[in-house]
This record gives sequence, C-alpha cells and structure tokens, in this order.
Amino acid sequence: MPETVRNYFGAITDVVQTFWQGLSVTLSHMLRRPITIQYPDRTEKRVADMLPARYRGFLEVDMAVCTGCLACARACPIDVIKISVDKDPANPKQRVITQFDIDESKCMFCGLCVEQCPTGAISHTREFESTVRVMENLVFRWVPDAAKPAPFYRPVKGQDAPRAPVGSLMRGYLAAQVWAAPAPDWVVPAPGKDKG
Amino acid sequence: MAEPVERQVLRRLTPSDEEIVINFGPQHPSTHGVIDFVTQTNGEIIRRSIPDIGYLHRGLEKIGEAVGYPGYMPFTDRIDYLAAMLANEGYAMAVERLLKLEVPPRAKYLRAIAGELCRISSHWVAVGSMAADIGASTPLTHALREREAINDLLEELCGARLTFNYARIGGVSFDAPEGWREKVLRYLDHLDSYIQEWDRLISLNEIYVKRLAKVAVISREKAIAYGLCGPNLRASGISWDTRRDLAYGAYPEFKFDVPVGEGKMGVKGDCWDRYAVRVLEMLESSKIIRQALAKLPEGEIMAKVARKPKPEAGEAIGRVESARGEMCYYVVSDGSENAYRVRVRTGSFMAMGIIEEMSQGLMIADLIALIASFDIVAPEIDR
Amino acid sequence: MKITTALDSTSLTRRYPKTALATTLFFMLALPFLLYVVLLLMLPFNRPEALNAVAQRLGWDLGHSLYRDTWYGVILLVEGTVVALYAAVFAGVTTWVERRIAGRMQSRIGPNRPGVFGFMSWVADAFKMLFKEDLIPAEADRLLFRAAPYFSMVGLTLPFVVLPFGESVVVADLNVGVFYLTATSAFIVVGILVSGWASNSKWALFGAVRGAAQVVSYEIPAGIAIMVPVMMAGTLSMQGIIRAQGGLPWQWFACQNPAAFVAFFISVTASLAEGNRTPFDLPEAESELVAGYHAEYSGFRIALFLMVEWANMWIMGALAVTLFLGGWQIPFVSVEMINQTRGTEVFPTLLWFGWQLVSLLVFAVKTWLLVILFIWLRWTLPRVRVDQMMALCWKYLVPGAFACFIFTLFWVMVPASVHLVSGVVLSAGVALLLVKFALRTRKNIAQVKGASVDLSNW
Repeated sequence: MPETVRNYFGAITDVVQTFWQGLSVTLSHMLRRPITIQYPDRTEKRVADMLPARYRGFLEVDMAVCTGCLACARACPIDVIKISVDKDPANPKQRVITQFDIDESKCMFCGLCVEQCPTGAISHTREFESTVRVMENLVFRWVPDAAKPAPFYRPVKGQDAPRAPVGSLMRGYLAAQVWAAPAPDWVVPAPGKDKG
Repeated sequence: MAEPVERQVLRRLTPSDEEIVINFGPQHPSTHGVIDFVTQTNGEIIRRSIPDIGYLHRGLEKIGEAVGYPGYMPFTDRIDYLAAMLANEGYAMAVERLLKLEVPPRAKYLRAIAGELCRISSHWVAVGSMAADIGASTPLTHALREREAINDLLEELCGARLTFNYARIGGVSFDAPEGWREKVLRYLDHLDSYIQEWDRLISLNEIYVKRLAKVAVISREKAIAYGLCGPNLRASGISWDTRRDLAYGAYPEFKFDVPVGEGKMGVKGDCWDRYAVRVLEMLESSKIIRQALAKLPEGEIMAKVARKPKPEAGEAIGRVESARGEMCYYVVSDGSENAYRVRVRTGSFMAMGIIEEMSQGLMIADLIALIASFDIVAPEIDR
Repeated sequence: MKITTALDSTSLTRRYPKTALATTLFFMLALPFLLYVVLLLMLPFNRPEALNAVAQRLGWDLGHSLYRDTWYGVILLVEGTVVALYAAVFAGVTTWVERRIAGRMQSRIGPNRPGVFGFMSWVADAFKMLFKEDLIPAEADRLLFRAAPYFSMVGLTLPFVVLPFGESVVVADLNVGVFYLTATSAFIVVGILVSGWASNSKWALFGAVRGAAQVVSYEIPAGIAIMVPVMMAGTLSMQGIIRAQGGLPWQWFACQNPAAFVAFFISVTASLAEGNRTPFDLPEAESELVAGYHAEYSGFRIALFLMVEWANMWIMGALAVTLFLGGWQIPFVSVEMINQTRGTEVFPTLLWFGWQLVSLLVFAVKTWLLVILFIWLRWTLPRVRVDQMMALCWKYLVPGAFACFIFTLFWVMVPASVHLVSGVVLSAGVALLLVKFALRTRKNIAQVKGASVDLSNW
C-alpha cells in the first residue's frame, strides 16, 4: 500500500483506538470516588483539624514563655511582628513586653520567626480561617492591653518552657473575634479616608 | 521620557489591510499568567506574535538586596510558585557557596526528595494545563488531583502546600516526619501505574497528537541559539541536565536517565516532544526519589549558620535544574548582612525570546500550543 | 468552641427538607412529564379531520373551513409552545446532567447543593442569568447585537416541529420532514454570525467566522449521510422512517445495513460539528478565543445562546435515533398492534394512550443515551484545529458519506433476508464491543494502584 493510503486509513484506526481508550478512562472515573471534600460545612471534622501538625497557619504567641529576645521580629523579612519592650514601672529590674502585634493580613507564613524562637513561644497553628470587615482587625495583639504588660520569661536550664498547647490560644482568640468589629482605636486613619 | 513598551512592541507590527493586531492577554485563559502576546494575524494564520512582558514585575530581585540572606528564602518561593522547592534549593546553594558551607548529607537527600516531588507536581500542572489549552479539560483536573496528593506530602513535610520555604542556608528546615517515607513510596507506586492511564486518556489521543506533532518545531541549533533550557531544550534532542552534568547536591549518587525528544509522533523538537519529555521526566523523578529514600543517610539536617550570616565580599552562583529549566541564582555580597545583588535566570524568561520567530506562520490554535508547551510561569518571566 | 468562620459539620448527613424534595421532584419528573402529557393529549387532534370529528361530537359546526383552520392554527401554536418549553426544560436539565457527569469524570463532585442532588442548580442558574446586567458594548451594532440570540432561538425551535416524540406524538409529520429539519437547524449559524459581527470584538468575529465555515461545511456530509436511511425507508417523513424500522436492534437501520452503520457515525460527527460541541467547539474555543462569538454577551442573551447549545443536543440525539436507531419503536410491539388498540371512536382508548406513553419513553431513553454520549465525548476529547476540522470534513466525512450513499443504492435491492442477517451480525458485534469496553473500563480501575470502584460521595 502506498504510504499516503496507509496514513489515510491509519488515521481512522488511530482515532477509533485512542477514543476507545480515552472514553473508557473517563467512564472508569465515573465509578471512582471523587477526591474533593466539601469545604467548609460537609467535612467530618473542621478542616483546620485535618491538617498536618506542621501546617503553617496563623501565628500564635504564648506570652507566658516569651523571653522578649526580639529574634522573631528580626527574622521576619517583611516586618510583620511588632514588639515593644519597656521597664516595669513597679519593679524597674523587671523588663516587660508592652506590645506584641502580628499582622496576619501581611504575614506570608514562611516560618522563619518560629525557627528563631528559643522557647517556642511563637509558633504556627493549624488555624487559617478568619475574615473581618476591617483589615486592621487581622493584626493579632498578643498583649491586648499595654497597661498590663507581660513580663519577660526567664528560661530555666534543663527544663522545657511550659508552653500552652499549640493552637489553644489561637482558638480562643478567633472565637472572640467579631466579623463586623469596627476598626481598632489604635489605628491611625489614613488621610482623607474614613475608617469604620 | 522613553517610549512606552507597548508602543515599541506595536511599532514593530505593521498590519496590512487584510491583517489585524490582536492581544492575547494580559487577561486570556491560555497565557498562564499576566503576559500579553501582541499578535498580528491574517485570519487564522499568525504573521508574528511578540510577547509583551512585565505585567507581573514585583521587583523580586531588588527585594533580595533588602531582606538579608535567610530572609530572601520565602521570596524565592514566589519566583516559581509551581516549583518552589527547586527555587529554594538554588538560592540556598548560591549563598552556601558564598559562605563556604558544607551541607549535611541528610539535608542534601531531603532536598533532592522534596525537589523531585515538587518537580513531579510542577510537571503535572504543565501537562495538565497543556491539555486544557488544547481543549480537553478532564486531564487538567486529573493532573491537579495528582498534584494535590504531592501537595499533601509536602505539606506534611514542611507545613505549606505552595510556598514551601523548605530549604535553608546550610540545610533544610524540617526532617521527614514519622511514616512519611511509606506515604511517599505509596504515592510513587500509584504514579508509576497511573502514567499509563494518563497516556491513554490524553497523551496518545489522536486529536491531541495531531494538534501537537510537527507544530512549532524547534531545531537543535535554534534551541541553543535562543538559550532554551530544561525540558524545552531536551525536547529538541539535546541531552543536557544540570542534575546530571553539574552533579550538585545528592544527585551524583542517583542513577537516572535524561529523557530527550525523539520525534516519536512527528519531528524532533515539536510541541508533542516538549510535552512527552515532561511526562517521562516524572517517571525519572520517581526513580530518583525511590533511590534517595532507600539510601537516606542519618544525621544532621542543618549546618551551623549564624542567624544573620555575613559572607565575605564576593560572588557565587547556584545552578539547579528547576522544572522549567536551569534556574540560576547569582548572588553578590559586599560583606554586609544584605546581599549586594541577587540575580535570577529562569527558564520561562529564556523561552520568551523564541516565540516571535516560532510564531510566524502558525495558526492561532498552534500559538496556544506553543505557549503551553514552554510551560511558562509568569512571575518567573517578570521577577 | 464556636469559630466564626467554620460552620457546623452536622450537615454532613444529608436530610433534605420536604420542600426541597417536593420542588426537586416537581422539576425533575412532573415538569417534563406534564409537557409530555399535554402533548400526548393534544396530538391525536392535531389533524383537521380529527378536529372535525371532535367538534361534531361536541355539537359544534366546524364545517366552515375558515373556523376549522383557525382552530387548527391555534392548536398548532399551543403545541409549538409546549415543544419549545420542552426544549428549554431539556436544556436546563442537561446543564445539570452535564455538570454532574463532568464532575464525576474529573474526580469532582459537581453541583450538589440546591435541591436534591443539586438538581435545582439549573433553575437557580436560569434565575441568576435573568437577573444579571444586560451589557451591550459601546461600539457594538446595538440592533443586531440584540437580535442575534433570537436568530439562534429560531434555528433551535423550528426543527422541534417535525421531531417525533412518540408513535403519534409529533407536532407535524411533514412529508419532507428530514429536509425541513436540516434546513431550519442551519439557521442557528445565522445567529452566531450576526452575534460575532455585531459584538465588534475580534474574538467574537473569529468565533463567528469559524462557526460559519464549520456549519456550512458539515451540512454536506450530514446531508449525504441522512440520505442513507431516507433511501432505505423510501420517505423523507420522520415518522415514515421510524415506521420502516423495528423495535429490536437488528431491525434498526444502523444495523440492517453496514453502510448505514458507518453513516450513523458520520451523521453523529457532523451533527456534533454543527452543534459546536467538543471536539468541534472551535467557534467558542475557550482557550483560544476566550468565549468566541458570545464573548461580549451577558445576562439573558447569553442564557439564550447557551440554551440553544444544550437544547440542540436533543435535536442531534433525536435525529440520530430517528434515522438510525429505530426511533420510538417498542420491541416486540408492531405499529399495527398499536393502531388496533386505537379503536374506531374519535377518542382513542386508554390502552392506546398507554402504548403512546411507552413509545415516548423508548424514544426519550434512546435520545438521552446519545445525549450522554455527547457529554461524555466532550469531557474526554481535546479540540481539533481549524484546518483539521476542515480536513476531517472534506477528506473523510464527505467521501465516506458518499461511499455509504452509493453502497446503499445497491443495498436496497438485496432481499430482506440479507438485511436480517446483517442486522443480527452487526448488533451482535456491537454487543460484543460493549462487553469488551466494559471489561476495559474495569481493567482501567484495576491497573491504577490505589483506585477502586466506589460509588459514594455524590
């Protein structure tokens, strides 16, 4: 058979054979289980609880074990963490943390801060869901009140820091969050823009 | 004031009365990101198509001069978001050379395992979106399903599904978790058997083959002349793989083949070859991961590195085989905490140059196939 | 602890409220069934003689031809509306079927929220489309831009006039039915061309020109392939062609004659191309032309275009079933048997209506199977290129259809026993292939490690 003729009829048989294969593959997927889950409401447990332990979600800080070393703030490449330290007015020898803000709306969840923390005070949680009307409310304040600052934690040699279970603090934080909360009062309104 | 780029591009197009200029992009389903292909066509036949890049420029190289050496690592994720592991590794290698660090062997192996997993996931997106661009949407979702399985594995390893930020200067951030090895092996078993089904679904489909074979053939000489790299280069029949030929990291200890284009369905260097090379590379990656998991040494995963390393003044280059070709980080240090200059050479950008020449005489549908076959990731082009 | 963003997962167990169940059942079964019943009750009287008889029985005098024709016209109009409504409902239901099938084939679930199994999603979509903003581009030809969807609508609804639904259920059994159908369904391309031109967009124009070239080319193989059953039946009437076949597979034209078997595939391929379905969806190629000819449309107008596209699948399926697959013929029940049950009265007997209903169902099931095949093809195949589309038409389909035509010229001369032998052999062959296909499908699942048959997660 000349080659052109062979090509002509070969194309027909190729079409039939490959369509046959392709159609049987797609049909076989009708009989397999879809892998998608129905986020967020039709899952067996909360999706945040299904994630692996190392998941890098919202950053949580246990102020009880924070040494105030500022390593996390220095490690952050985009200045998400803002920490202010001061002397305790009542006890000038004791240094305290008056501000520990993490801007979760800006955080890129890279984990560099967590690796630098000597006590594990700052760590990622598996929480990733938070929507608020005013974006500034995504700045999570781990020292909510500057008048009640957190004292520096002094690590004890040969003993692990008594850190609260990872995620427990964040859950409380998120549960208290109100979607339609007005802009926090510490936010300086941008010029010409009415916030609230 | 310089002339705007669009004007410069358009000035080179001189449509006659029978031709029109049409913009494929910046918003178009098949441009794989924000790129504009300014195309002069005579009906379905393309006279010439000029890529107009820069819509996704975020100054990623400039950021490298401001955030310190470890701080730049998460930004490398964003250069090639589909193969972030490999982008991490390249940057880490460059800085390690600056610091004259030796990476522990276990870290090298973990990098190779994570990197190859990431290559498979990146190639899944490449072949899947290529099928979608040719008009079949089912392979795309199947490819994404396969990629999800890898994402789950990598998420378990490092905590993220896309921007892994796994490599560190001097090692990796996490050791493999308990039971991870078995999960990876189970996935690889699945992958090796699944590829056959994938081929039956799409690779060998007659319409698909006819759409890609003999289309936009890039000859050996042209591929070298335009500086193509990675799978795009290998599809033209040139056996060059940084993993094998530069033997960095743990790669000298693995045995694997480098698939090259053979022109099985048409001519060597056509779109189908560029597609097939990627499918075959997934199987090779699977081989590498199996070997690495079998030989994974015990030991440290991080070398001793200062928190804010200050390398001596000098320069270094880290070259890795990324999923989109050779990715090359050039880092210059002036002895301070921040790099003096970070420069990234990427595979997608190298593929842009040849499009103007290759597009001449193609049909509109072929241009889509050509773009898809280069497996472009837009931020890699614009950085 | 209550997290504001995570909902309760109690709804994992699905208990549908009664209203959802009732609405879904209404839209799923009652609505199409209602349309069928209306048709069934009206159609015996859509002949002037039957009308006369009914009128006489009611004591009216319709002897005057003007009155009679007016009544006849009114009844035809109502029937036409019912059929057009059927087309709309079918298009809606098909979107849901297509999305569910596509979802499953792609390892997804597909729309499963509104109503039971997500069936109400097409109703929700229809409402959404109606309430969307109707945008007309500033530089568009406003009159033509608005008119274009209606051209397509006309091309969709006119063929329904001659499409049979059951043994006696057809609006008008024209003696040139097939000819009328091919002529009117080509009207859709006018809408495509007009919309592409009027949109004043390069993408839309590309799509429109592709669409025109495609539909006009594929009319030829489609027309020649249609001639094969027409010759075998010796009539152009749709009902006549079905009556010439039988209820069992070896009595279908597609199996009786090897050439008709080939012509069936040619005809289906050509109608896929005429209906702009994948692999021939070039006029609206998403990855090339964004959305092609309807790129600039929104709201109700795009809903019309999409409705035409989906409802057109019924025409494609019904035409193939009529010409090649035995139409509404019920296995083991001949047309004479049905006619005998009609009785001599003006009003047919209940048994006759029963047989009509069965024939309706037979036809609907066959057509739905073909529609599902079209959907299946769409979610399996990539898209051909413009030149390949033309090459397929002129190099393969036209000569192939012509060869079938010539073959059939001689085939109609061979004795009927040969037809029977060929019918049995061909239908046995097809059955064998189907078994082989099922085994292949089963093997696909067995071959992939970690895959298993699992019909859960709907």
